Amino acid sequence: MSSKQPTRVELLQGTLDLLILRTLLAGPSHGHSIAKHIQRTSEDLLQVETGSLYPALHRLEAKGWIGASWALSDKGKRAKYYRLTQVGRKYLIAEQSKWDAFSRAMSLILKPSEEEAQ
Amino acid sequence: MKLFLHKLRSLSQRRRKEQELREELEFHLDEEAEQHQADGLAAAQAREAARRDLGNLTITQENTRAMWTWTILEQLVQDLRFALRTMAKNRGFTALAVLSMALGIGANTAIYSCMDSILLRSLPVDDPESLVVLNWHSKVPRQTRTSQRAVHVMHSMDGSTYDDPRKGMIAGIFPYAAFELIGRTDSVFSHVFAHYPSGNRTVQIKGQADRAGGAFVSGDYFRGLGVVPAAGRLIAAEDDRVGAPPVAVLSFALSNRRFGGPANATGQSILIDNVPFTVAGVAPPEFFGVDPALSPDFYLPLRTNLVVGGEFTPNYIDQNYYWLEIMGRLRPGVSLSQAQAVLAPAFQNWVASTAANAEEQANLPALVLKQGAGGLDSLRRQFSKPLNVLLVLVGLILALACANTANLLLARATARRRELALRRSLGAGRLRIIRQLLTEGVLLSTLGGAIGVLVAVWGIRFLTLLLANGNESFALRADLNWQVLGFTVALSLLSGVLFGLAPAIQATRTDAMPALKETRGSVPGMSAHRAFFRINLSQILVAAQIAMFLLILVAAGLFARTLANLQSVQLGFMGEGVLLFQLNARQAGHQDPEIVTFYSDLRDRFEAIPGVRNASLSHASLLKAGRQHPVSVAGVPAPGTRFLYTGPGFLTTMQIPLLRGREIDRRDQPGSPAVAVVNELFAKSNFGTRDPLGQHLKIGGTGAREVEIIGVCANTRYGGLKRDMPPVVFLAYNQVLQFSRVGQQMTYALRITGDPASYVKAIREIVTHADARIPVTDIITQTAEIDQTINQEIVFAKLSMGFAILALVIACVGLYGTVSYNVARRTSEIGIRMALGAARADVVWMVLRDVLVAASIGLAVGLPVTLGTSRYVESFLFKMNANDPLSLSLAVIVLLCAVLVAGFVPARKATRIDPTVALRQE
Repeated sequence: MSSKQPTRVELLQGTLDLLILRTLLAGPSHGHSIAKHIQRTSEDLLQVETGSLYPALHRLEAKGWIGASWALSDKGKRAKYYRLTQVGRKYLIAEQSKWDAFSRAMSLILKPSEEEAQ
Repeated sequence: MKLFLHKLRSLSQRRRKEQELREELEFHLDEEAEQHQADGLAAAQAREAARRDLGNLTITQENTRAMWTWTILEQLVQDLRFALRTMAKNRGFTALAVLSMALGIGANTAIYSCMDSILLRSLPVDDPESLVVLNWHSKVPRQTRTSQRAVHVMHSMDGSTYDDPRKGMIAGIFPYAAFELIGRTDSVFSHVFAHYPSGNRTVQIKGQADRAGGAFVSGDYFRGLGVVPAAGRLIAAEDDRVGAPPVAVLSFALSNRRFGGPANATGQSILIDNVPFTVAGVAPPEFFGVDPALSPDFYLPLRTNLVVGGEFTPNYIDQNYYWLEIMGRLRPGVSLSQAQAVLAPAFQNWVASTAANAEEQANLPALVLKQGAGGLDSLRRQFSKPLNVLLVLVGLILALACANTANLLLARATARRRELALRRSLGAGRLRIIRQLLTEGVLLSTLGGAIGVLVAVWGIRFLTLLLANGNESFALRADLNWQVLGFTVALSLLSGVLFGLAPAIQATRTDAMPALKETRGSVPGMSAHRAFFRINLSQILVAAQIAMFLLILVAAGLFARTLANLQSVQLGFMGEGVLLFQLNARQAGHQDPEIVTFYSDLRDRFEAIPGVRNASLSHASLLKAGRQHPVSVAGVPAPGTRFLYTGPGFLTTMQIPLLRGREIDRRDQPGSPAVAVVNELFAKSNFGTRDPLGQHLKIGGTGAREVEIIGVCANTRYGGLKRDMPPVVFLAYNQVLQFSRVGQQMTYALRITGDPASYVKAIREIVTHADARIPVTDIITQTAEIDQTINQEIVFAKLSMGFAILALVIACVGLYGTVSYNVARRTSEIGIRMALGAARADVVWMVLRDVLVAASIGLAVGLPVTLGTSRYVESFLFKMNANDPLSLSLAVIVLLCAVLVAGFVPARKATRIDPTVALRQE
């Protein structure tokens, strides 16, 4: 891991699933690249612990929201690739709108001044 | 199913999944290390950093694996393996539980399969659901003393009528005109057909005579039922016409037996009662007609009874003669109630026109349509109540076995408290533990069920034998089929859940902590409360067991005493040493008056067999006879009088004491004055103190005959064992031919010495020599015939005694087990008591008292239940009250003895506890 340590944000309970599903919307990916993608996209604010990533992946697989298959990675090694299933896609859409509503409500309460200033 | 396969696959793939997880994490490490390397670290350090980043690999693996979630199936396999290990560890317990379940389930399956074949199964024909059986019901007619005849339009009947508690009288026989009427109303039925059992007939095939039962069927019978022949063709409408060439359809079994197969039988000529028939075809093997009680060997067109029976012509004309059993097939879309609505008024109109007077008009039968899928219901009427009673009994046994096993499991669950508490504190969910315990229960009962099927196979054979009781024509087709097996499986699972649930609930109700703190062998609250059985499920179960046990014992007592009563009934004749058999010379073509000489010559020849002391004959055996005619003494009618037509020496042969005068002997010939012997009852009720000898009787209505009384004999049973002895008149069969109808068949009675079987050959030789066309049938000793008439009582007594012994074993074993467990658990307490100076007797009493308390509770519940329910079996009892005090007290005594014995053995064991050893256990 890089030596520069930006302030990390603790993952909210239950949000990892959403992040994984959202990441997989772009296309199939293996565990490592999912973690990296989340980290990169969140500008290093979020770091996914391996200890919670793989249990989450396997849980999502058991629920049927993501599927998995073994394929060769771009470096030619065997890797387990996860992809979003139809059910997962539906779940993601539903969760995303819930999340949007939730975060809007949060910001309405936490930053009322901004709202007024506009 | 797909889901199940998937689960199964995931089970086998579990190991591969582990491997994949390792590989996946390995890949992650590699990627991470590569990234570190790209950032400039050396290979070894990069790897190190990646490992550090990943954290505890084992925990990650562990957590990930937890996400796979054990599928239900995997958990089931775990549970099963655990249950099997537990069972293997407690072999004695397992054997006990499985055995009692096997007996319970086996007995239930056997009875159920009989019920299935008798009460539930549909006819093996096309679309049985649309078949309808026609019945009528009517009030029971008043019998007037003068007419001796019931007043209703059913002037005469040939068939069975049944008493119905609500409707009075119910029957399924109709006049021919009613059959024609229903046939004309073709808006509801696509086919209407009639059936009339022919009774046993003499069938000659290739010169060999045999007796076989058959059925006369109307032209639409086979077409209406939708039966496909095994060979040739079946009876059709054109065969059922006067003057049509006589054809017969044989049963598959008869064609096999006598022709070696259906194809060989077709086209052959056979003689039925000496009338030639051509075999048109053979019925399929599964077909047994429409009456499950009969299994006809041949089917003849209805109108051939005019040539075979001889006296049937009036049946087709007489609108008040009820004899035909009618069935119909509903047109598609017509419901039973619609058919009822159309046919009932039509029948009502018709039957009103057949009433002879206002009295008959006032009590007309009403038509009732019934579901006909199961065919005619004579067998159902005969057996439904006995089978239901038996089913309740075996149901009780199974409940007893269940309660037993539950109690043993409960006792064991108490011993397993620490184990269960440990498992709960390690995170096992309550549901998971219940499921585990249920699995154990279901596994036990499934094993029991599997062995129970074997018990059932044997039980069905035994039951069929018992019910048939040597009656060859008895056609019970009970066997194991999918439905019965389904019943067994359901029963096993249900009982497994039932007795698994009790300990499961009990076990998970306890808190984990106190149970863990306990030392082995101690029970919380025990010292404070002296109750030996915990006052909870266990106690309730023991009490319930006692109550059920009492019910079974009382039932056994009632049935056994009924049988004893029947067997000690005064016969009035000497049954031992009498051999009976039947001959029917008329069916072989013998005519009046030659037939009288033929029968009498045979009697002389039978009497000449060495070892035969006396020989005689009568129109039927005493127990099977049932002949009634109008009879009057000096113009005063003597209602209720029965008749027996006998040959010479009948009283001597049967050893019926002659009180006055002489018996009918060789002097009484067709030409000589007609004579009669009356029994004491007849003499007393019709002559009082006057001397009946020399008096005259007038027998019959129009064309009455006068006979002179020449003797008075003692009273005997007539027409069965259960009825009161009736007044009987014995007539000479050769003198009053118009009444005796000699030649339907005659029953010979031989008083013999030695083994009855050794005479059969000589008898057959004599008959064959006289006329080879006549078969000798129904060879039976008088004693066996008596047993046959009380067969149901014998079956009930034997079965219920068997059940009672079974229940006794199960209950004793269960009580013994429960008490032993409790003693074992209280070893240390008993040790302390003894160390403090308790006498052995005190310890025994302490253990016994608690068993007796449970037994008393059971009795307190069981007695009122028994008293309340025993009246349901009242109709099965003979000469005794349903609440027979002797049976009740016997049952209670047996029960208490069983409880004491079952409790005393472990109580004795408790006294042998060595205080020092017991106390050191802690």
